[in-house]
Amino acid sequence: MSSESSLFSNRWLPALLLAPLMLLIVLFFYVPVFQAFYWSLFLEQPFGGGSEFVGLQNFQRVLSDAEFWAATGRTVIFMLTASSLAVVVPLMLAIAADRKIGMSYPARNILVWPKGIAGASIGVVFAFIFNPFVGLMGPLNALFPGLWNPGIDGTDAFITLVAAHVWSGIPFNFVILLAGLRSIPPTMYQAAAMDGAGPWRRIFDVQLPLIMPQLFLTFVLEFTESITSVFALIDTITGGGPGGSTTLLVYKIYVDGFRGFDLSGASTQTAILMVFVLLLAACQFYFIGRRINYER
Amino acid sequence: MNKFTLAAVAAMMAGTGSAQATNIEFWYGNTGNVEVAIKAQCDAFNASQSEHKVNCVGQGSYEVSMQKAIAAYRAKNHPVLIQFFDAGTLDLMLSGAVEPVQDLMPEVKWDSYIAGARAYYETSKGKLFAQPYNSSTLLFYTNKTELEKAGISETPTSWEGIIEAARKLKAAGHACPFVTDGDTWRILEQFSARHGLPIATKHNGYDGLDAEYVINSTFAAKHLANLVEWRKEGLVRLAADTKAGNYTAAFNAGECAMMEQSSGSYAAAAKAFEGKYELTVAMAPMYKDYTRHNTFVGGASIYVMKGHKQPEIEAAKAFLDFLRKPEQQMSFTAATGYVPVTTDVLDVIAKSDEANSPKYATAKVGVESMNQPATADTRGVRLGFYVQFREVFMEETQKAFAGQQTMQVALDNTKKRGDQLLRRFEQTYKGKQLP
Repeated sequence: MSSESSLFSNRWLPALLLAPLMLLIVLFFYVPVFQAFYWSLFLEQPFGGGSEFVGLQNFQRVLSDAEFWAATGRTVIFMLTASSLAVVVPLMLAIAADRKIGMSYPARNILVWPKGIAGASIGVVFAFIFNPFVGLMGPLNALFPGLWNPGIDGTDAFITLVAAHVWSGIPFNFVILLAGLRSIPPTMYQAAAMDGAGPWRRIFDVQLPLIMPQLFLTFVLEFTESITSVFALIDTITGGGPGGSTTLLVYKIYVDGFRGFDLSGASTQTAILMVFVLLLAACQFYFIGRRINYER
Repeated sequence: MNKFTLAAVAAMMAGTGSAQATNIEFWYGNTGNVEVAIKAQCDAFNASQSEHKVNCVGQGSYEVSMQKAIAAYRAKNHPVLIQFFDAGTLDLMLSGAVEPVQDLMPEVKWDSYIAGARAYYETSKGKLFAQPYNSSTLLFYTNKTELEKAGISETPTSWEGIIEAARKLKAAGHACPFVTDGDTWRILEQFSARHGLPIATKHNGYDGLDAEYVINSTFAAKHLANLVEWRKEGLVRLAADTKAGNYTAAFNAGECAMMEQSSGSYAAAAKAFEGKYELTVAMAPMYKDYTRHNTFVGGASIYVMKGHKQPEIEAAKAFLDFLRKPEQQMSFTAATGYVPVTTDVLDVIAKSDEANSPKYATAKVGVESMNQPATADTRGVRLGFYVQFREVFMEETQKAFAGQQTMQVALDNTKKRGDQLLRRFEQTYKGKQLP
């Protein structure tokens, strides 16, 4: 500890250097969070003409609203499908790119590129790719009319959303997992191979256990991030439809608050969502995080 | 002080000295050719005099404009003028953030606004809150060329006629006879208005905040159920069924033969059809057994926000006066297809040699539609959290179109969820009286 703090000669310097960032976090995170919790206890008029304290009535109403639970259910399904795939797919790619096979060197580079694309742009592209007439599914639709139409069929819209999310999650998770794989000493494989372990055996018994810290990191980030980052994709691909089938909680909050001017309802749901995300992360750390061995 | 600082101070002083004109901001939400027309009006106003300068700021959509206005008003940094759309009328009336135009400018002859356009934006006692701006109403568009190809010589005017025509078009191999996006304004509000049906009790909320929705028990429910059946039959298509993915684009490209759409789309449709198809535009269709009533005014109006100094208010008044001028309304109509809604402008158009020119086509039929006999239920919609209600309606009816539930169940759910919104709105504005 003493060796670290001796880096700075003045004890106030670290605080000073941190201050700009802390200011941003306070202004754009803690203040709005506090505001949301505060408004969730009131019925707030949009233009601030007056607000009435209603205690927990907003929570009571939201928690007994079937639409809220439907949106929560969709959020959980999305988390389980999209977020899991967004780790598993990059994991497979990373394992492949880690091996000495053709194209694995360029792949390590190219697979990172999509990181530079904004969620909204990905949404626009995927809306086009999955368009029922001109997209990838166009020829299939021509053979079997009505087979695929995300504009009408809620399941199709949900699949489109999951595909776009998984694709957009590849670069970051790929980099983390590949870095984990590259840091495993080659002698480990060699020893395993000499003991007669085939490639699959080496993946499950050597590689996966040794990259557990990286896997855990990507899972935690994916599960907590995807709940909010999916907004850009929903807004550009489906707009929450058809029939509300892709209205995840984060999008419902936006629609209620910013399109419907229901500040109290949106704040209440924000408060609930925030608690949910914190609980989720806490559970992950409590049940899985403790079992991970960070030493090699 | 060094030379640069001196020079900078001198420049700043020179700048303030020449800026005598009062600068005000006007926020609007339109894009595309409408935005071009709005900007042209702003430039024309600024060029016409030197006392005031209006800075017109496009916000990308009505909703975004409103979101920003709410935030700006709370931060006391709001514009003097803001354009907002029909569905937000009650939110603004109860907000306490706007000054009714009729109070601000009592000298203006507000009576010159046609009743159909006034009713939506005035209090139940008849005081106009906002100056109608880009006014539109629902019209019926057909691609006459395609209809004639299928052997339909006369443009249908009733729903029965449309369906007959649609069957002929289908028989002739047409993939998309009639197209709609299932939007609340088009398939519920305008349908109810012109058929004289209420949307909610208390005359659509004009008589009190304790209204309740009735959409699941009026004839509108039957019509919406018909739309589902007609879609199954291949006569009606939704936006998502079309190759264009957007129903206006599908109609404009010739993919679909008939549509119900705002008069505001006329200019774009006419331009797209030029040299390829013949376009007809008429009043929206009726069921034969019903008498025609007026359609609602759609589009948006301009509100004056409170909390500004007198010179800024004067500038705002001057700009509103400018926008009401007949030549301004006429050029705006010609450029966009929005409908002029003051009688003086309609007189000028009728007397001009261009009375029958296509650029005023929507003015004539649009005003005719809004001037049909009115009832207490066809004045407008004065219901709380109405923007959210529109979302709920779309969500539930989309499920019906996709076959997940019947239209009746969809409308029952919509009523239930809509009533919850109304009750919460009532509580949010507890103690406030409808003006």
